[in-house]
Amino acid sequence: MGEDFNTESMLDIFLYESEQLLETLQNVVLEQKDEDCFDDASINEIFRAMHTIKGSSGIMMYDNITKVSHKLEDVFYYLRESHPDNVPHLELVDHVLDVADFITAELDKIKEGDTPDGDESQIITELDKFLNKIKTGITETGDDLPPENKHEEPKQFYIPPTENESSKYYKASIYYRSDTEMCNIRAYTAVYSLKEITEDMEYMPDDIITNEDSGAVILEDGFHMLIKCQCTKEEVLEAIGDTSGVDWVEVNECTAKEFEMGFHEQEPAPIVIELDDKDKGKGKEKAEEKKEEKKEPTPGDYVIKGKETGKGKKLAKNQPKNSPKQSYISVNVEKMDSLMDMIGELVISEAVVLQNPDLKVPGLDLSNFQKAASQLSKITTELQDVIMSMRMMPLTNTFQKMNRIVFDVSRKLGKDIELEVIGENTEVDKNIIEHISDPLMHLIRNSVDHGIEAKEDRIAAGKDPKGKITLEAKNEGGKVYVIVRDDGKGLNREVLYEKARKNGLIGNRPMSDFTDKEIYQFITYAGFSTKEQVTEYSGRGVGMDVVVKNIQTIGGKLEIDSVEGAGSEMTLKIPLTLAIINGIVMEVGSSTFVIETNAIKEFVRFGKDMLVKEPDGEEYVMLRGECYPFIRLNQRFHLEETDSSIDAEDGIVVVLEHENKYVCIFIDTLIGEQEIVVKPIPSYIKKVQGLSGCTQLGDGSIALILDIAGLITDQERR
Amino acid sequence: MAEEIMDEMDELDVAANADDDAQKGKYMTFQIGDEYYGIAINYVNEIVNIQSITGVPEVEDYIKGLINIRGKIIPVIDVKVRFRQEPVQYTDRTCIILIDVNSTMVGLIVEKIADVITINEKDIIPPPSLNQSVIGKDKYVFGLVKVADEVKLLLDPEKLIRDEDPMSLE
Repeated sequence: MGEDFNTESMLDIFLYESEQLLETLQNVVLEQKDEDCFDDASINEIFRAMHTIKGSSGIMMYDNITKVSHKLEDVFYYLRESHPDNVPHLELVDHVLDVADFITAELDKIKEGDTPDGDESQIITELDKFLNKIKTGITETGDDLPPENKHEEPKQFYIPPTENESSKYYKASIYYRSDTEMCNIRAYTAVYSLKEITEDMEYMPDDIITNEDSGAVILEDGFHMLIKCQCTKEEVLEAIGDTSGVDWVEVNECTAKEFEMGFHEQEPAPIVIELDDKDKGKGKEKAEEKKEEKKEPTPGDYVIKGKETGKGKKLAKNQPKNSPKQSYISVNVEKMDSLMDMIGELVISEAVVLQNPDLKVPGLDLSNFQKAASQLSKITTELQDVIMSMRMMPLTNTFQKMNRIVFDVSRKLGKDIELEVIGENTEVDKNIIEHISDPLMHLIRNSVDHGIEAKEDRIAAGKDPKGKITLEAKNEGGKVYVIVRDDGKGLNREVLYEKARKNGLIGNRPMSDFTDKEIYQFITYAGFSTKEQVTEYSGRGVGMDVVVKNIQTIGGKLEIDSVEGAGSEMTLKIPLTLAIINGIVMEVGSSTFVIETNAIKEFVRFGKDMLVKEPDGEEYVMLRGECYPFIRLNQRFHLEETDSSIDAEDGIVVVLEHENKYVCIFIDTLIGEQEIVVKPIPSYIKKVQGLSGCTQLGDGSIALILDIAGLITDQERR
Repeated sequence: MAEEIMDEMDELDVAANADDDAQKGKYMTFQIGDEYYGIAINYVNEIVNIQSITGVPEVEDYIKGLINIRGKIIPVIDVKVRFRQEPVQYTDRTCIILIDVNSTMVGLIVEKIADVITINEKDIIPPPSLNQSVIGKDKYVFGLVKVADEVKLLLDPEKLIRDEDPMSLE
């Protein structure tokens, strides 16, 4: 490829487009996996997707992708044209998914910068076999068919432009000069030029091909068309203008109603060319044949032919333009992130300006400044909301992936499982979506593998032989709940307890020490697996602990509930967003810390009598009869200052809560509540237990954000 | 002082844009204790005056904490402490050299910025082999060079910022 050819961006577009297409393809396939066959719309959809991938991979010169997609396109071309009724549907679904997997794998390689070198020959042979099978109706044994018997498909296919709401309607009339010959052929040329851009059209007279006399009629009355299309008047004019011998052309917009009425008020009856007609290509050929029979090869003929050869490709390329005008643009995530950062900076700078020490000079009249300042705050807050909402994405895609997993795993395990999806439109920050996809996959697999019983067991237990997994998402109290529910066998307390004890995860504490929920949590411990046999999908005891870790990194948690024999429920509780939190800024000695507002239960003025000291040095705070562990941050973090203020009785005790566990910390001064832009502590500095990040304060200095969960687990370990 | 060097750096930047080789053989030198050290200039991003540093608990003693450079949060290390020498009080001559090593931004606290010098590669002598086994400052020094009767120790920034435990850089 030429050097000045920007393959980078082309490659990006190619990857993006192909991935989108593959995703829709998989969705279409999985949606109809339980039917007997694909309906026309989805056959068209798959066909179109494959066609586009074939075309674009051809341009990018990825031969194996081109070949595979071409082969699948062939299969669907056959399905579309011949409507065979003996298609083994599940086998077809498998083939389509295989192809999708193959292409996805190749795309991954391309993304990694490798050459896509996957071997396509096996898939192609299988598809060939499949195609032969459905063509001839021969079963597996029918291998005696010569494998070379590959049918030659026309290289270009006609892809009908999609119809949609934003169509416009035009009335067009062409009048030819009186000395023009064969007006019918010329009119036909115009019709063909227009077909490329229109969705639907009618014309009058309708028999321009079959009736030679129609030429005279056109010469007399003009050639009238009703057009439905996406384009502007100019584009219509341009398309018609191609044809020669035209005296003048008239194009006027009209309403949909007029279009539907057609030429009814004028005789003769109109013909409607439905461009969605599947036999379009054939019809076209027929029309041409007829023309040739008439032995009237005119220049117009060549025009038609020329158009035709270019058509398939051209339309495929134009397709995005014709598809519903989506008001979406795709933006590089990095750009979004940097915008997000910039807005974070803006928020901080705003605080720097508004809390500037210069303003604190006594005697200044700041009323105008304050007015302007509050306006500024309002705008920045809105700006934050906007960027936040821009980063919000529905969980739809993630959930659809799960569909595929249920399908694959359940088939391999021979279980019949239905996946119900609720609330897939729930929106979550993009960063979070990236983080929950894998954990969710694990949970779903676990449910399919461990949760849902084998068919016989289900029947024996008097349940519906078809298992059911529900995947639900909902918003609740500033958090998103993602719930995976199955109606399988549920969790068994005793088994879990025994297993955990045997694996030495809980020491020798008696079972009565644990609540049900605590016992269920055992499955999230590393090295725990109740499944005796390790299967391809689960049972190795890695997984659940990874799930929990992943969820924790985004500040979420996993709750497990179960009723034995009736199923279990895994709930992921995840925050809506990561980047900006409400925090309370406080000072301990000379250090500044921030605590997330949600975690703070209360502030209590410190009184000496509250403190309970154990002989081993551990300290507790008694508050209204309750006893809370007490952490002196200075000691905890080995800060240099000695904590003398604790005896000065002017400190504040902050009660913090995380997952129903409490801890108290002692601080010197409260500074105030503020919106905090969370920044990670640079990776150069090792992770410090008890700190979750840092942030910039209004004066430009840096404060550390306390990680309450970390503090509490740390305290428990001591 | 720092400003002068910055000007010089700016010039270098311009030169660097024109030709990447312009940076070759250029070293930024600075003083720590009695010694002069040099660091290849292509690692150096920026020099800032000493500013308030937010301490981070429970890290190595030479990691002084975090500074905020136009919204970027950058860890700083005290080179003197890193060399196992007694720390000194920071003065207004104390500078922070921001270096970028494999996309890790780190600030180096140095007592005094000296100069940007050009060193011919063949003038660099490897440190005497006897010293190589010594655990201490010399393992960060990959070469010595004599410039106008002064010996300058050239530092390998990658080793300088890397922790003893090689895992922690990840």
